[in-house]
Amino acid sequence: MRSSGQERQATAQAEPDAEPDARTEPDPQTEPDPQTEPTVVAALWRGLEVFRPLAWLYALYSASARHQDMARPWLAWCVLGLLGAWTVGVGLYRGHRLTRTTAVIGVELALACGAILSTRLVDTPQVILGGARTLPGLWPAAAVVAWAVLKGWRAGMLAAFLVGVADVLEVGVAAQGPPNSSTVNNIVILVLLGGCIGYCADLSREGHAALREALRVQARVRERDRLARTVHDGVLQTLSYIHRRAIDLGGEARELGSMAAEQERLLRALVSTVSDAPGPGGPALAAGGRAGVDLRSVLSRCADGAVHVIPPAGPVLVASGVAEELAAAVGAALDNVRRHAGADAQAWVLIEDTGRDVTVTIRDDGVGVPAGRLAEAAVSGRLGVVNSIVGRMSDLGGTATLDSSPGAGTCLELTVSKGWPPSWTDQHP
Amino acid sequence: MSGPEIAGGPEVAGGPETQDGVLNETMTRVLVADDHPMWREAVARDLSDAGFDVVGTASDGPGAVRRTLALRPDVLVLDLNLPGMSGAQVCAAVVQAQISTKVLILSASAELQDVLEAVKVGATGYLIKSAGREEFLDAVRATARGSAVFTPGLAGLVLGEFRRLAAESGVKGRREVPELTARETEVLKLVATGMSYRQIGEHLFISHRTVQNHVQNTLNKLHLHNRVELVRFAIAKGLDIPG
Repeated sequence: MRSSGQERQATAQAEPDAEPDARTEPDPQTEPDPQTEPTVVAALWRGLEVFRPLAWLYALYSASARHQDMARPWLAWCVLGLLGAWTVGVGLYRGHRLTRTTAVIGVELALACGAILSTRLVDTPQVILGGARTLPGLWPAAAVVAWAVLKGWRAGMLAAFLVGVADVLEVGVAAQGPPNSSTVNNIVILVLLGGCIGYCADLSREGHAALREALRVQARVRERDRLARTVHDGVLQTLSYIHRRAIDLGGEARELGSMAAEQERLLRALVSTVSDAPGPGGPALAAGGRAGVDLRSVLSRCADGAVHVIPPAGPVLVASGVAEELAAAVGAALDNVRRHAGADAQAWVLIEDTGRDVTVTIRDDGVGVPAGRLAEAAVSGRLGVVNSIVGRMSDLGGTATLDSSPGAGTCLELTVSKGWPPSWTDQHP
Repeated sequence: MSGPEIAGGPEVAGGPETQDGVLNETMTRVLVADDHPMWREAVARDLSDAGFDVVGTASDGPGAVRRTLALRPDVLVLDLNLPGMSGAQVCAAVVQAQISTKVLILSASAELQDVLEAVKVGATGYLIKSAGREEFLDAVRATARGSAVFTPGLAGLVLGEFRRLAAESGVKGRREVPELTARETEVLKLVATGMSYRQIGEHLFISHRTVQNHVQNTLNKLHLHNRVELVRFAIAKGLDIPG
């Protein structure tokens, strides 16, 4: 016995830490791990990797189209060359964790702002005031999106704001006045882009984190259930062992033995009810109260030393109202057994799932009722309990039949549809 | 385990008073598989005291299979909660080896679904550990003779399984499933509500041997169905069937 106890304890101590994910879990404070990023965020990163070179090619095309008008074309080629080198460099490391760090996207934002400001030197003021595009064109949007995806909506909007400031400086300084409406328009769109994409990334990260947490909790609950089963098995074994030994020892030990037997029965009923109850979000909950109660759990509460509940292996789902009525009917029938069947009578409650209907059979091995007495009792109105049971069943559209003979106990069979009867659905929505 | 109580005496046709039973008893070889040392020893001691030959014990699933195949006892007394293998897996391995060993499940808290699985793959009896000593010894004797050990709880499980199969075939219009005759259903229901074979015999005006046959038939049908399903599954997957 002792060695068994120690074994169990050792298992119990070893198991709760056995959460394989716990140690590889990324610290939420550090940079997000690309391996565990939610799908939406990963897709945004991939989109960005495609967008960056395209935006650069477009900037190159725009510059080559108007390089005759430029004050310093060589500077334009230098700036675009720098942006091109950066784009290629980041492209070579695409998907790598390194390209998704604050430092890298910080440099990218600085390059974008610098390129915008360099337009001041590349183009003549007349061209700038004429509404020409900035030298990098759409390329700075890549930096804004990168900040939004990595750090959320606030960072996205801040990056867009910084790019906007660079734009205003570039245009405004040349014009010696407020920027024109198309610049403002572009800045607003860029800020909204940063905010929206950042918000999208935030939401999907939150959802991802919630899902991971839920999975972790579920794994923990499952593990605890498994441990509880092992522990219960051990406790039940010990109680039955005490009961068995106590019978051998006799005398006062017998009393201890019957206490152990009683506790064993209670624990067994408890364990069975708990383990059978569907968990939160299980099919029963999904189906609402209508078809969601396991009749086995409801009726197992009737069991005691003299009442044995015999269920099938799978759940017997019935409407909650049907379960209540059946439980009340079975309770009344068992009361009747206790009162009339004799002191030593035992009773069995058999639950059968016949597809659309459920049948509950209550049989006792008591004294029974002599032939003819039932009819006699019915005539004289002394069949109170049985009548109430029959009434309950016919209210549900079911049937109740009673069969008894002297010395062979009484057998009551209740059959009822598992769902709400049509007449009830109107009154009990 | 959903049944708060799988109790009531196991039905043992013929009973210990049968001449063959008594004669064979000293020769009945039993293997006890249980991971709780106290139970293992208590059960083994009870069996030895009652004149059975306890040929060995095992404390885990793979050990139970290995020793059963090596020692070929008449009866394997099997706890369903063994480390290493599920009770049903142990049963299946023993049955698949096509040796004459019969499996009697003796469990403290097994899930009804696990019990049903084990019975479907070939166990011929199920007893809860809180059953009395005589009840247990009678069950081992009956198992050794090849009789099913039917408590009300087990009858309820088997009945429920046939009901489930019938409902399933009705819904899906699927291939044939085994069905119980009206008489078999009636008998199984009476066993499930606590009647002894003798009482059932008197109630239905048949001999208790006939009652025993009906009960045995229901179990055979379940085993056969399980085997047919296995073969069908194996063919679908392109596997070879041993034996």
